[in-house]
Amino acid sequence: MSNPHKNEKNGDKNLPRWGMLIDLDRCVGCHTCEIACKFENDVPLGIWRSWVKEIEKGKQPNVVRSFRPTLCNHCDNPICVKVCPVHASWQREDGMVMIDPHLCVGCKYCMASCPYEVRYIHPQKGIIDKCDFCSTRVDAGLQPSCVEACPASARIFGNLNDPKSELAKLVATKPVSTLKPEMGTGPRVYYVSLDNATMEIKREAKLIWEK
Amino acid sequence: MGKVVFDVQYQTTLAFLISYYFYFTGLSAGSFMISTLSYGFGLEKFKPASKMGVVTAVLLLFLAPQFLLMQVCWPVKSLWHNFVHLNPISAISYGSFLLVLYPLNSIIYGIFMFKENKKWTKIFGLIGIPLALAVHGYTGWILAFGVARDYWNTGLMPIVFLFSAMVSGISMMILMIMIRDRFFTKEKVINHDLIDSLAKILGWLLLVDLFLVFCDYSVLLYSKLEAQEVAHFMLFGKMSFWFVIVENLIGKVIPMAIVMIPGMRKSYFWLILAALMNMAGILVMRVVTVYGGQALPLM
Repeated sequence: MSNPHKNEKNGDKNLPRWGMLIDLDRCVGCHTCEIACKFENDVPLGIWRSWVKEIEKGKQPNVVRSFRPTLCNHCDNPICVKVCPVHASWQREDGMVMIDPHLCVGCKYCMASCPYEVRYIHPQKGIIDKCDFCSTRVDAGLQPSCVEACPASARIFGNLNDPKSELAKLVATKPVSTLKPEMGTGPRVYYVSLDNATMEIKREAKLIWEK
Repeated sequence: MGKVVFDVQYQTTLAFLISYYFYFTGLSAGSFMISTLSYGFGLEKFKPASKMGVVTAVLLLFLAPQFLLMQVCWPVKSLWHNFVHLNPISAISYGSFLLVLYPLNSIIYGIFMFKENKKWTKIFGLIGIPLALAVHGYTGWILAFGVARDYWNTGLMPIVFLFSAMVSGISMMILMIMIRDRFFTKEKVINHDLIDSLAKILGWLLLVDLFLVFCDYSVLLYSKLEAQEVAHFMLFGKMSFWFVIVENLIGKVIPMAIVMIPGMRKSYFWLILAALMNMAGILVMRVVTVYGGQALPLM
């Protein structure tokens, strides 16, 4: 019985807490973040680590398209980490929720438990995969690729623990919201001007035995 | 309200294989329970079912995890990672231990039973009952801990799973005892008293099972939006044929009516039909619960 990630925690109080803010007043729905993410992380065809849900609402002439960029929320209290039987889903001290490819056995329990449905099975590796806030880039001092690629600067990435960071200031001063706060997960991806219509719950689904 | 222009199709994670795993574990737990009625609790009437019950329980417990391993992407890795890197707050972690302890205990219990050693059979039978409850109850916990899904996330889930396990196990035992008595004994006479008692137990357990389903759905329909939507999906939506007609009408209500009416219960034709319908209904129940519970996209 062992948690292989136990030694990686040193209890340093000065560690950052990474988070992201997506300003939907700025988002133009160009899907560049999707493409940048695919390039950076070599995400196979048909699956996405980060995508932009796009809806159209209203009647002519009053119509609008609303967007909801979706990615892993790197929750403070991640359900996926709790349910993983082998500690393959784990959380770094700076808040990034990671997947250890050597430990994951592909049981898919975390996929079923994630309230945001951001996890997928990597078709070649047979393990679970998802957005990791571009941890290798962030560790090297760079921004996540979706943030860097966004032409409208709608995405702001930074350290929530540092009150002087742009992200912390915006989260403190703007009317932000998170996805499904009632799940008690404490998401660390914040949205400005999030449209509830992009989070509509559906009553019907295409069943797997339907063509 | 809005029309979706672009959204990523979400992959359904747990579908048929995991349902079969739950089904066969349930059958195993149910037949184990029957086998403990005489040796564990001293109900001599059920003694002719004991040996068959324990052998079936062990054999099914070898079959059931095969589906689990097929569903896991890395089956060999999972065999040892689940023990070495155990996460004590994950329901799957308990399962890997229960799936080892329960068959081992059942084998020891069976060996003592075949040696007619009543004392040790009773001890291992009584140890086996909490294990059998746990090995099937934990499958309910796996779903109940999937907190994102309102259909699963209820405290009733382990209990619903236990009752459906027991009803399907008893139905299977009724069929197997009939086949054994009719074709594989010298007398070729079916033990009517035993079958009749099992059928009576089946009727009452089915009643409790239906009551639990009613409790679950009444709360879902009264609850928050996501729960209402999934209840609507099950009762009136695309899943309604499988949930209402196959699972509950064919799988539970009609078999319950058959075994509750004494005239029909005494007829082997109706009893066999009831047992077959119930076994099929519980199999569909597993698929409806596992797959149906997560078929609706969450956002």
